[in-house]
Amino acid sequence: MKNAYLGIDIGSISTKGVIIDDAGKILASEYLWTEGNPMEASKKLITVLHDRLDNDTYQVMASGTTGSARKLVGAMCHASVVKNEITAHSVGTTTLHPNVRTILEIGGQDSKIICVENSIAVDYAMNTLCAAGTGSFLSSQAHRLGVEVEEFGKIALTSENPSNIAARCTVFAESDLIHKLQMGHRREDIIAGLCRAVATNYLNNVAKGKKIIGPVVFQGGVSKNIGVVKAFEDQLGMKVIVDDNGHLMGAYGIAIMAKNSGKREKFDFNVADIDFQTREVNCGHCANHCEIICVYGNGKLIDAWGNRCDRGEIKVRA
Amino acid sequence: MATVREKKVAFPRMAHYNVAMKYFIEQGLGATYIMQPEMTRRTLEIGSRYSPDFICAPFKHTLGSLIEALECGANTIVAPGGPCRLAYYGELEQQILTDLGYEFEFLDIAELRYSKPKDYVKLMRKLNPKLSTPKMLAAAAETLRLIQHMDEIEELYHQNMGFEAEDGSFKKAYTQFLHALERATSGSDLRKAYAKAKDTMTHLPVNKPDHPLRVGIIGEYYTVMDSFSNLNLEEKLAKMGTEVHRWMNISNRNIGYNEQNLLAGLGEYSKYVMGPTTVGTLHAAMRYGERHFDGIIHVKSFGCTPEVDAVPAIQTIGQDYKVPLLFLSYDSQTSDTGLNTRLEAFYDMISMRKKTLR
Repeated sequence: MKNAYLGIDIGSISTKGVIIDDAGKILASEYLWTEGNPMEASKKLITVLHDRLDNDTYQVMASGTTGSARKLVGAMCHASVVKNEITAHSVGTTTLHPNVRTILEIGGQDSKIICVENSIAVDYAMNTLCAAGTGSFLSSQAHRLGVEVEEFGKIALTSENPSNIAARCTVFAESDLIHKLQMGHRREDIIAGLCRAVATNYLNNVAKGKKIIGPVVFQGGVSKNIGVVKAFEDQLGMKVIVDDNGHLMGAYGIAIMAKNSGKREKFDFNVADIDFQTREVNCGHCANHCEIICVYGNGKLIDAWGNRCDRGEIKVRA
Repeated sequence: MATVREKKVAFPRMAHYNVAMKYFIEQGLGATYIMQPEMTRRTLEIGSRYSPDFICAPFKHTLGSLIEALECGANTIVAPGGPCRLAYYGELEQQILTDLGYEFEFLDIAELRYSKPKDYVKLMRKLNPKLSTPKMLAAAAETLRLIQHMDEIEELYHQNMGFEAEDGSFKKAYTQFLHALERATSGSDLRKAYAKAKDTMTHLPVNKPDHPLRVGIIGEYYTVMDSFSNLNLEEKLAKMGTEVHRWMNISNRNIGYNEQNLLAGLGEYSKYVMGPTTVGTLHAAMRYGERHFDGIIHVKSFGCTPEVDAVPAIQTIGQDYKVPLLFLSYDSQTSDTGLNTRLEAFYDMISMRKKTLR
């Protein structure tokens, strides 16, 4: 039996998972939509990965979760490592691309830039307050234009004269876009303009004040959009690397961290059959009314969080 | 003797300094001080409800805490004033609170900004007409020393709590210190509390490495000092295992502050005073850079113009001294998920960086 390690990245839009071996090779992977239900999506993901893994040769001995639902899913599947997505992405990317100097990442709701020196992240920035120019913005605009978001990039490349669209703010961008449509701009020009606006917005806001040095790796769901990749290459004047597994990089990074954590415990694929529930409790000890989330597995409390002070602590009886 | 309505004085909440105000009002002026409860989500909720939408978060916090003070029975409010928009806030708060139907007397220190010392005494006489000036002066000196002691203990707390051998031991000592100050009625009470806290904190067992991770916190006056406003940033960071430093406090910014000297020391980074706290912010950033800190975190309330102006200079300092930077902007949010993600990533980054540098 050989050891294997599981990494799950539960984002706002999509849930990603990989299983790797001791050498860091990907044995199984899956990418599916979160659809607002991180627990169900992770269960589905775990089942699929279990089916794809050669279970006679490999045994998952450590697991990790990352992404915005990392804590919830981490409690659910008893993860050895629960880490933020910024660290997971930089670990994943620097493992596969040791020379990388800048990582551009645009996901469903957030975007970030990570600057790397000697395979170690030395600086990063993440978008604040607003999701303008991220994946969800693109998919809502695709919906408006009646195009599949997966087709966006290809259509953008056919444009010779991209329209100028302001992407400073999703609301402004949308009114700009409608205006241009009604003025008779061609659809491919609008789409190319949108892709360009995403890149511009990113470079002007998230990457403001950061030196972008090559090699540059672009990842996250939006990196699958060839139109945005092209826009980045044009604006940066350098080649932008898009890894085939770029969308899995967070999950890959957290799997690597689980492998390096030194913690070993047989992973129980049966979590997919356990009935998990959450309940929100308002603490009544002071006027702050902390919202405490309790997670139950088959009716038994397994974890709780959300309290600001010890008075609201809910202890799990072992 | 004519019955004078007893003065019940309140200040807006700010960090832990209210205990110092309480001491001065009660021991120096002989008036009653009303200590509203610590700020909670409700404070911010009522504060935001009655505030102009685009105003900065400190206004919402202070307004909310003044409403809570009035609910606790305060009938006299002292607005501390301040060197930026804060100076105008007192007047605005008075108007909003009056419109809400509260009855109270309002004393705005901001109006005295360019006045003589005797005008301050006049203001204090409004709180107690039979004020004894020598007693007041003695209490004032005592209060200034108290603030310096509080800042010193807070520094000890933030720089060591992350390495405590017994979980919660520093927090306990710190809480006991603040409680003792709240009960103090004389200078010797204050000094005893300080001596005890200092003794406890220097002797509590810690497992501190020779070269711990050191992070400097800089930024806007109110948000950077008030842990409720910054979602407990310093304790969170310290608990991850770092030494947290902060130059900004009343001792450094108000009591022993020399703006011209500090400005001269900024060299090319800034030649002008851009706002009330920018000189201090940049000064601290430079000192942290010179001392090879592992990271600097800049904190401001969303839309704080002076601190926004300081950002480019901080970025240059970060590049010149090779210190990783993190910029945080606060509004009236109550969820700290986003902050936790960013802080954890920042911590991971600086700790991995330190490992390879060595």
